[in-house]
Amino acid sequence: MRGLWRKIRQVGRVAEPAPSPPAGGRVGPAVELAGSVQVRHVDAGSCNGCEVEIGSAFGPVYDAERYGARLVASPRHADALLVTGPVTRNMQRALRRTYEAVPAPKVVVAVGDCARNCGVFAGAYGVAGAVADVVPVDLDVPGCPPRPEAIVEALRTLTDR
Amino acid sequence: MNIVATAIVGTMVVAVATATAALLVPRPARSAVVGVGTALCGAAGMAAGIAALAGQVWSAAVAGLLPLAGVVLTVDTLSGVFLSVIGAVGIAVGIYGIGYARHGLDGRWVQAMEPLFVAAMLLVPAAGSVGTFLVCWELMALTSLLLVLAEHSHRAEVASAARWYAVMTHLGFVAILIGLLVLTGHADNDSFPALRVAASTLSPTTAGLVFALTLIGFASKAGILPLHAWLPRAHPEAPSHVSALMSAAMVTLGVYGIVRVGLDLLGGGAQWWWLLVLALGAVSAVYGILQAAVGTDLKRLLAYSTTENMGLVLIGVGAGGLFAAAGNTLLAGLALTAALLHVINHAAFKTLLFLAAGSVLHATGSRDLDSLGGLRPLMPGTTAAFGLGALAGSALPLGPAFVSEWLLLQALVHGLAAGGVATAVMMPIAVATVALTAGLAVATFVKAFGVGFLARPRSEQAANARESPPTMLAGMGVAGVACVVLALTPVLVLPAVGGASGRVFGTTDPVSAGLLTVRLQGFAGSLAPLLVAVTVVAATMAVAVLARLFAARHRTRVSARLWDCGAGPLSARMEYTATSFAEPLQRVFDDVVRPEHDVDITHYRESRYLVNEVSYRLRVPDRVEHRLYRPVLAGVRAWGRAGPRLANGSVHLYLGYGFAVVCGALILLVVTR
Repeated sequence: MRGLWRKIRQVGRVAEPAPSPPAGGRVGPAVELAGSVQVRHVDAGSCNGCEVEIGSAFGPVYDAERYGARLVASPRHADALLVTGPVTRNMQRALRRTYEAVPAPKVVVAVGDCARNCGVFAGAYGVAGAVADVVPVDLDVPGCPPRPEAIVEALRTLTDR
Repeated sequence: MNIVATAIVGTMVVAVATATAALLVPRPARSAVVGVGTALCGAAGMAAGIAALAGQVWSAAVAGLLPLAGVVLTVDTLSGVFLSVIGAVGIAVGIYGIGYARHGLDGRWVQAMEPLFVAAMLLVPAAGSVGTFLVCWELMALTSLLLVLAEHSHRAEVASAARWYAVMTHLGFVAILIGLLVLTGHADNDSFPALRVAASTLSPTTAGLVFALTLIGFASKAGILPLHAWLPRAHPEAPSHVSALMSAAMVTLGVYGIVRVGLDLLGGGAQWWWLLVLALGAVSAVYGILQAAVGTDLKRLLAYSTTENMGLVLIGVGAGGLFAAAGNTLLAGLALTAALLHVINHAAFKTLLFLAAGSVLHATGSRDLDSLGGLRPLMPGTTAAFGLGALAGSALPLGPAFVSEWLLLQALVHGLAAGGVATAVMMPIAVATVALTAGLAVATFVKAFGVGFLARPRSEQAANARESPPTMLAGMGVAGVACVVLALTPVLVLPAVGGASGRVFGTTDPVSAGLLTVRLQGFAGSLAPLLVAVTVVAATMAVAVLARLFAARHRTRVSARLWDCGAGPLSARMEYTATSFAEPLQRVFDDVVRPEHDVDITHYRESRYLVNEVSYRLRVPDRVEHRLYRPVLAGVRAWGRAGPRLANGSVHLYLGYGFAVVCGALILLVVTR
C-alpha cells in the first residue's frame, strides 16, 4: 500500500494538457446529451488495433473521461455506440440489436477505416458491410488505426467540452 | 360426559373405523373414505383441544385395556394446545390426501395407517400415565415409520431414510423410557399426579438425570441438533401429506414432552436444565436455517426449516424455564406463551408449505429447485399457497410467525433484568440468534418461492406442470386460512395459549389480548397485528397507485426487446438458480457449512488447450452429521466385524462362554451377598 502511494506521488500527473475544445458544436442527436456521454463500445469484427487505441484514449495520458465521456458495460446504460471493425456476418444481427437496446437519443460513432468503408477487408466473404450499412452512423473517425487524439476529438464533439 | 371425553372417544372410534374401511373399500373410493375419516378424526381432536383450552379438564382410567398398567387419559389446557394443533393439521392433511393419494399412494395398508397416525398423535398429549404415554408414543413412531416407507418400491432412498428414522426414533424412545421409568421408580404408581408428588422428593442429581434422558428422546423427536439427522432424510422421502403431519404435528410433540416432563412433572428444576435447552434451541435455529438457506431440495429445505422453528420454540421454552428458576413466573409465562404460539403458527405455515411442495412434486415429479420455476401461470393456486406459506414462514408482518417471534423477543429482552449472570450472558445471545434466524429465513423463503415458482421453467417437467385437483387445493386452502387468521387475529388463540402457559407456572395470563392489540402484562409492550397489516397493505397499495399514476403520464408505451447481449433469445439457463442465489450466503458462512466443490475438466486428446467437458459438482454436506455420526457408525461397523470372531462356529468356544458366564454369575452372587 505504501509502495502504491509512493508510486502515485513519484509519477504525478501524466495527462496531456487539454487542447482547445473542438469548434462546430455537437453532432446530430448529441445536442440533447448535455455534456455527459456514456459510451458503449462494440467490436463488430475489428482486428483489435482500434481497441488498443480506444483503450489508450481512455487511459491516463489522453484521459477522455475528463471531457465527460465514459465507457459503460451495457447498451442499456449508454448514449453512444463506439463501433470498430467491418461488420462481420456473425456480428450483424448483434450490432443491430445493440443499437436497438440503446435508449434514444443515441449517437453512433464509427471508429477506424474498417468501420467507415471496410478498409482492407472490403469484399471479404465474411464481411456484411461497413457500419453505416447496418446502423445509421453520425460520426466517423478515420485512420487505421485512428490516433487516440482523433478518438478523443470525436468524443469531444459529442460532449462539447 | 363432557365434550373432551366425547371428542377423544370419537377420535378413536373414527380412526379405527376409517382404518378398517381402508382395508375393505375398493381402490377408487378408498382415498376419499380415508381422507374424510382422517379429517373427521382431526376435527374431533381439535374439538377436544378447544374444549380443553376453554377450561374443561377430563381424566379417565380404563384398567383392563393395557396389561399391568391400564390406560389413563388426562386432558388439561397444555394438552389442549397440542390437541388442537394436531387436530387442525389432521383436517387439512385429510382433505388434501383425498386427491394426493390417488397417485400410487392408495395401497390398502398405507391408507389404513393415515388415520391411525393422526389418532396416535392425538393420544400422546392426552395420555395421563407413563405407561399410556409410552405406548402412544411408540404407536405414533410405528405408524409414521410405515407411512414414511409408503414409496419404498419406487425409490431406493426411501428405505435408507426410513432406516435412519427408525433407529433414531427408537434410540430416543429408549432414552425417554429409561428417564420416565427412573422417575416412576420413585413414585407410588405411574400416573402423572403421582409423578408430580414424587418429583418433589427427588434428589437434584436424579431429577437432572431424568430430565437429561427425556430431553435426549424428546429433542430427537423435535429434530433438535445434534439429533436432527433423521429429519432432512425422512421428510423429503415421505409422501408430502405425511411430511406435513410429521413436520407440523409430530415434531411439536417433542416440545410437548419437554414442557410436560421438565416444567410440569418435574416442576421446573435447576437452572442448567433450561440453559441447556436454550443453548440447544439457539444452535438448532441458526444451523437449521443456514442449511435451509443453502439447500436446493425443496422438501429438505422445509425439513431444515422445521429444525429452525423447533429451535426457536425451545429458545422460548428454555427462557421460560430459566425465568421460572429465577422466580419470575410472569416472565416465564410470557416466554412459554411465545413458544406455544410459535408451535401453533409453525404448524399452520409448515402444513401449508409441505402441502404446496407436495402439489409441486405431484405436478412435476421433481423436488430440485434448480429444475423447477415458471409454475406461477401453470399452477396459480399452488403458487399462491406457497407464497402465503413463505411469507408466513419468514417472520414478516402479515405472517403469523411475526407475532410469535415478536413475543419471544419481548420475553428475551425483558428477561435481561430477570437476574443471574447466566441470564445476563444468555439473553443477548438468544436475541441475536432470533434476529439472525429471522433474516436468514427471509433469504431462504425468497429463494424457495422465487426460484421454485417464478421466472421461466428450468426443465421439461416444470414446463408441463398442471394444477392439482380441487381436493388438494382445498387442503391447502384450509391451512392458508389458518395462516391468515393467526396472522391478523392472534387474539383468537392468544388468551387460551397464555392461559395454558400461565397455568404451567401457576400464574395469571401473561398476555392480555384486546380486539386489536396484544398487550404484555406487567411490562411495557404492545402490538396491533391487524393495524400493522392494514398499514402495510395500505402503504403498498399507495405506492402501487402512485407508480401507476406517474406511469400514466407517459401516454405512449414503448416496448423493447430484453437485452440479451446481442446473442440468441434468453433461455432458462440464464436464470438465477437456487444454488447461485444462495452462493453469497454460502460464502459468508463458509466456515460453518463447509461446501464441497468438485471441478473436473477433460481435454481433447489432440490438445491440452481444447476443453472437451467441464463438470462442476457442489455438495453442502451436513457437517454435524459428518463429525458426529460417522465415527459412531464406523465404531458400530467395526464392532459388527468383530462379532463373527467371537462366534466362529466352534462348539468348544461356546461351551467356554457358558462356563465363564456361570462362573462370573456365581462370583458376583458370592461377592454381593
